[in-house]
Amino acid sequence: MVRIKYRYLLVHILYPDPVESESRSTTRASDKSIPDLIQFHRPSPGDLQPQHLVRSIRDQVLLLYGDYGLGLISASLNVKYLSTATSTAIVRCSRAHFRIVWSALAFMTQLPRISKHDSPQPCVMQVVRVSGTIKKAEEEAIRRARAAILRAKRGNGDGSTDNVIGMLDQLDDDNLGLVGRGKKKGNAGSDLSDEEDELEMDSEEDGD
Amino acid sequence: MYYDLNVPYSANNRELQRTLAFLAELGYNSVALDHTVSGQVPANITNQIPSPLPFSVPASLQVLRRCTVHLSDPSQNHRLNSISSVYDVVALRPTTEKCLMLACQAFECDLISVDLSIRYPFYFKHTTLAVALQRGIKFEICYGPGILNSDGGASRRNLISNATQLIRATRGRGIIVSSEARRALACRGPADVINMAVLWGLGQERGVEAVSREARSVVMQAEMKRRSYGGVVDVVYGGERNETLVQEENAAKVKQSRSKRKAEVLENQGEEVGDSPRPISKREQKRQAKKARLENAKAQEPQAKNVSVEEPAVEGDSHAQLLPNGYVG
Repeated sequence: MVRIKYRYLLVHILYPDPVESESRSTTRASDKSIPDLIQFHRPSPGDLQPQHLVRSIRDQVLLLYGDYGLGLISASLNVKYLSTATSTAIVRCSRAHFRIVWSALAFMTQLPRISKHDSPQPCVMQVVRVSGTIKKAEEEAIRRARAAILRAKRGNGDGSTDNVIGMLDQLDDDNLGLVGRGKKKGNAGSDLSDEEDELEMDSEEDGD
Repeated sequence: MYYDLNVPYSANNRELQRTLAFLAELGYNSVALDHTVSGQVPANITNQIPSPLPFSVPASLQVLRRCTVHLSDPSQNHRLNSISSVYDVVALRPTTEKCLMLACQAFECDLISVDLSIRYPFYFKHTTLAVALQRGIKFEICYGPGILNSDGGASRRNLISNATQLIRATRGRGIIVSSEARRALACRGPADVINMAVLWGLGQERGVEAVSREARSVVMQAEMKRRSYGGVVDVVYGGERNETLVQEENAAKVKQSRSKRKAEVLENQGEEVGDSPRPISKREQKRQAKKARLENAKAQEPQAKNVSVEEPAVEGDSHAQLLPNGYVG
């Protein structure tokens, strides 16, 4: 039995534009205090769901490649993991056509709209790792999150932001815990339905 | 090492600072800020980009300064030499086919950057572009306008069309990819850029080289042209002089100065030894001949004496010499 070959894209959602705050007068002050690194890697809106991301990828593929391209990728396209806190996602696509999905991500310039009446938020989707198994993608995500925290610490250089770092550390640990749970779940319950599967970190490939 | 050789310079420091920080975050190590010159080039050219930028730049990022000259009238004097002495990289942006040809064949530059977001009424010909590649000039693809896509897809379509054309005409050689991003939003990470290049038909390895090795060679060549002797030899570090060697040299000099005339010393030696085995120089021959003539004139009365100086004819064993070593004896 030959299983279907996939590629897993580890995607960072980056925000190049400065934080929009409510009052114009405080914008400059807040910009000064928050370093660029944290501004670029800031959390995504909490109500961003994996299906929003899938929909926007499909729209972009339809725009770039038309019906033909969409037909090639739509069977295998799936967002396996989306963390709004770290703005990280893992996108699954078929191995033969992963470059189509990748270029669709590269040509994206704004976050998928969650509701009709909110303004589009500009963002850059950066693919940081392409791997054949989701396990390696997870490991890379953890490694990068760690490195980012270390860099943020070094960038600050003093203990004035201990609270932020403590929070991030906690977040990192949570992430690790999640992966551990995901592994157990993946081993035990391989008969998860697709909808449940979508939200979990699944270390085993659901090859069928 | 990843390079982005085209970030337009603007006086808006906040936006520029953000763009540079974002590029560093995406993983670029080297960025060239671009100043554009079009039309008449002034006589005294100064670098329009301040050398230490007025804001803080990420420490990992090397900032270069580049000048792009818009070519529309080939008869005009663009003073490319004086521009290249001031900027790190000089690029040309031809707008017509004739200008492109001249840029490929004649003009002195490091990079040819055709604006790929508009449609051209001509094809890129391999024969034209191959001349430039022979001269070591690279071609640049700027993906920024295609990403932002402000005019409803036309610029993206033209970018893809022109980029594939350019890659076809150059056979994928000497291509670099850079952003030309006026906003941080138009920048993409090196891996994403490579993927785009692969989709345009450049191949994975060539795509990697387009943002790393080829771009580096542009920077290095420009630096060599500016700094080195004949574009070939560059003294990076002259080194320090060895103390003992200096002393020895001084001692040798002192010795030489003591016996000032070398010929005199040799003459004395020759007299002491007698007939020297070394062949007589022409000057010496003349001198001897003159001496002999004078002596002749003195001794004309007693008897006519025939003095002739003969070169000692050297006749080696020519056969033995011709043979290789192994056959002798």
